[in-house]
Amino acid sequence: MKLLREWSRNKYIYLMLLPVVIYYVVFLYFPMYGLQIAFKNFSPAIGIWGSEWVGFKHFVSFYESYYFWRLIRNTVMISLYELVFGFPAPIILALLLNEIRKRVFKNIVQSITYLPHFISIVVVAGMMVDFLSGDGLINQLTSLFGIPSVSFLIAPEWFRTIYVSSGIWQGIGWGSIIYLAAIAGIDPSLYEAAKTDGAGRFKQILHITVPGIMPTIIIMLILRFGTLMAGGSLEKILLLYNSTTYETADVISTFVYRRGLLQMDYGFSAAIGLFNNIMNFILLVSANTISRKINNTSLW
Amino acid sequence: MHKRKSIMLLSVIMTIALAGCSGGNNSAKSPATASPGTETAEALADGKIVSSPLTLTYFVEMSGSPAPGVKSLNDMAAYQETEKKTGIHIDFKHPAGGQEKNQFNLLMSSGDYPDVIQWGWNDYPGGGVGAMNNGVIIPLNDYIDKFAPNLSKLLADNPAIKKEISTDDGRIFAFPFLRSDPYLRTYFGLGVRQDWLDKLNLQMPTTIDEWHNVLTAFKEGDPNGNGKADEIPLLIRKDTMLNFSNVFLNAWGTSGRFNLKDGKVLYGPVQPEYKQFLQTMRTWYVEGLIDRDYAGTDDKQKDAKWTGELLGSSEMAVGGGIGKYTNAMKAKNPDFNLVGAPYPTLVKGDKPVLGQLEPIFNSVGAAITKNNKHVEETVKWLDYKYGEEGSMLFNFGIEGKSYEMKDGFPTYTDEIMKNPDGLSFATALGRYAVPFGGPLVQDKRYQEQNASLPQQKDALNTWMNVENSNWLPPLSFTNDESARLAAIMTDITTFRDEMFDKFVMGAEPIDNFDSFVKTIEGMGLQEALEIQQAAYERYLKR
Repeated sequence: MKLLREWSRNKYIYLMLLPVVIYYVVFLYFPMYGLQIAFKNFSPAIGIWGSEWVGFKHFVSFYESYYFWRLIRNTVMISLYELVFGFPAPIILALLLNEIRKRVFKNIVQSITYLPHFISIVVVAGMMVDFLSGDGLINQLTSLFGIPSVSFLIAPEWFRTIYVSSGIWQGIGWGSIIYLAAIAGIDPSLYEAAKTDGAGRFKQILHITVPGIMPTIIIMLILRFGTLMAGGSLEKILLLYNSTTYETADVISTFVYRRGLLQMDYGFSAAIGLFNNIMNFILLVSANTISRKINNTSLW
Repeated sequence: MHKRKSIMLLSVIMTIALAGCSGGNNSAKSPATASPGTETAEALADGKIVSSPLTLTYFVEMSGSPAPGVKSLNDMAAYQETEKKTGIHIDFKHPAGGQEKNQFNLLMSSGDYPDVIQWGWNDYPGGGVGAMNNGVIIPLNDYIDKFAPNLSKLLADNPAIKKEISTDDGRIFAFPFLRSDPYLRTYFGLGVRQDWLDKLNLQMPTTIDEWHNVLTAFKEGDPNGNGKADEIPLLIRKDTMLNFSNVFLNAWGTSGRFNLKDGKVLYGPVQPEYKQFLQTMRTWYVEGLIDRDYAGTDDKQKDAKWTGELLGSSEMAVGGGIGKYTNAMKAKNPDFNLVGAPYPTLVKGDKPVLGQLEPIFNSVGAAITKNNKHVEETVKWLDYKYGEEGSMLFNFGIEGKSYEMKDGFPTYTDEIMKNPDGLSFATALGRYAVPFGGPLVQDKRYQEQNASLPQQKDALNTWMNVENSNWLPPLSFTNDESARLAAIMTDITTFRDEMFDKFVMGAEPIDNFDSFVKTIEGMGLQEALEIQQAAYERYLKR
């Protein structure tokens, strides 16, 4: 009876929900059926059901692989770099933008910082290859100051810096939108009160703006933890790395791509992908739990 | 009651979802080529294979530089002519350029195979044998015996070819691309600027020591004459060098992959000779004889360095190297003279042992899939290309248009050799025929005209002058063997490539070669060697 009342009251809302539910069932839940190939010697010609079970063979062989620890290290390091340098960047930009009093100037800055977000990653990578090559723009500039040229894209020690800094350049404006929105939601009377108490601009940021957007920051941070083992964007790494920089650039997802799609070792790839997602899931849940315990902000 | 309603709703969703998925499969299973009434057609008088029109689907990659207007192989004269002759229409499925391998892999996992797949079957896990064992493609022996007189005759006359294209248990999985003449199997080696050598009064280098002298002279002697020491004496490329061309490595009698020595399979990179090779490369790199950016130089940059008169030598192909750069520089610098250099040795006068040599059959061929409902007609159609008429058609195109018989020699016309629109030889010929990478026997007379510059002809003869008896023939593996081999060699090859750069660029001292060898052995090299050895012995018994 309760259900009936609920339905008759909100049926249009449920109908509007329907496409999304279908989407999730068809594209996200239904394919999980294929996950079983992680435990099988999968051959496309025989099909998912026909392939023989091999248990945890693929997981063991990944763990015993020479590159296991390097892949884990690179994956975590890229994400950590992104977390340490990439995560605070849009927050800082949002705080700075909020302090600008000239509307026109603020709009111009905002538009310019958004723009790179709309450039396709393929184009961005192409630009970077040209700029960073041995005789590219960057090296031509630094050579004016007598700095010897560096082929950045074949130097493993440069890879993470290049990857993360270009990521910040591309994402900082777009990422700041959510924080600007949160800032806009802060009660203006708080600032009035702070001003009466004699707080300067910096004190206002520190004691009103930052605590005001803290819940947003924490939620974003928890979501970030869920992608810690994703190790950056597969496409971007594929476009920027080469065998010379595998040392720092080869992450789990690129390894899965080479083994699975290029060598058709689907079972093995599915096993690594599953392992990776379980790690992400554990990280997300623990980050959420910790955050709920410490400061009562959490996803669920 | 309303609970039931929502359950019904859910089940509707599920049904839609399931229908969406299975619907695709159903339509996939129904044959794409519905054309009834194709009876045995041997009796057809006009040489046609079928009495009523038949369409076959055919997956094949388009060759590198298609001529303008050639959107599919049906725009190529040789295939149009074949269709007229045989009455069979081909619906070509071409993967997008640059995406070929991904699309082939997707095709394989979709299960929705076209009638014929033309591909380098070594890319499939386990090779052509693996594809047969998995039931993707069918063994062709019986069909070839019955319906392919041309190929049957060829195989009966040439037992060596039959051995190459058969698996260990005697099955044939594809209509093969064959290059039986040694002249067709070598096309890659070192190229060097002869005019630079002349300018500096140097002889063509033949040994590693002589190469060292020449490269040093290139660096210091300003052979491009611009007053700056901007010459790059040598550009190397590790993937071709270690996997394919084997230049320099051969001087120490070793290779970057598996090769034979006294009937035993060896892995080159763990031999002591490989250490000496690395040591030499390291020294040359330190002395600035090898391009500092060699690891990050792609084809485009390589072209720019050659045509910018910066490079003294590099590996190259006879067409895409010597031919390309010579033509590009003809107007810019008439003195530009790029020639093929012999494979260097350690001792002067020794014959090089391991150079670039393609096998007779490199696994490229047209295979018939299990979905094909017209195997007999398909086999007859494919066999046409191995006959006298078909062979001329696919090597030389149309008589009177793309070639003319002069004293019994099929000579390409000026439209091909000196195209009025400025198209290259390969592109101009591409309108009529593509004499490589397909199910056909490549004609020596094609290559003689393809490599038409005197420098190209000389280079081929120079590069061919190699012993080449210690290369492994193409082997076939069982499914388990190839799975193990792939798992082991992925790690080893990645490691070999990374360490090559580290040794050469100095990130890792050469003294650590022993631990390099130990690591490779720890990755399971012994097992890989045993698999290779066993497969080689099976090959010998074929």
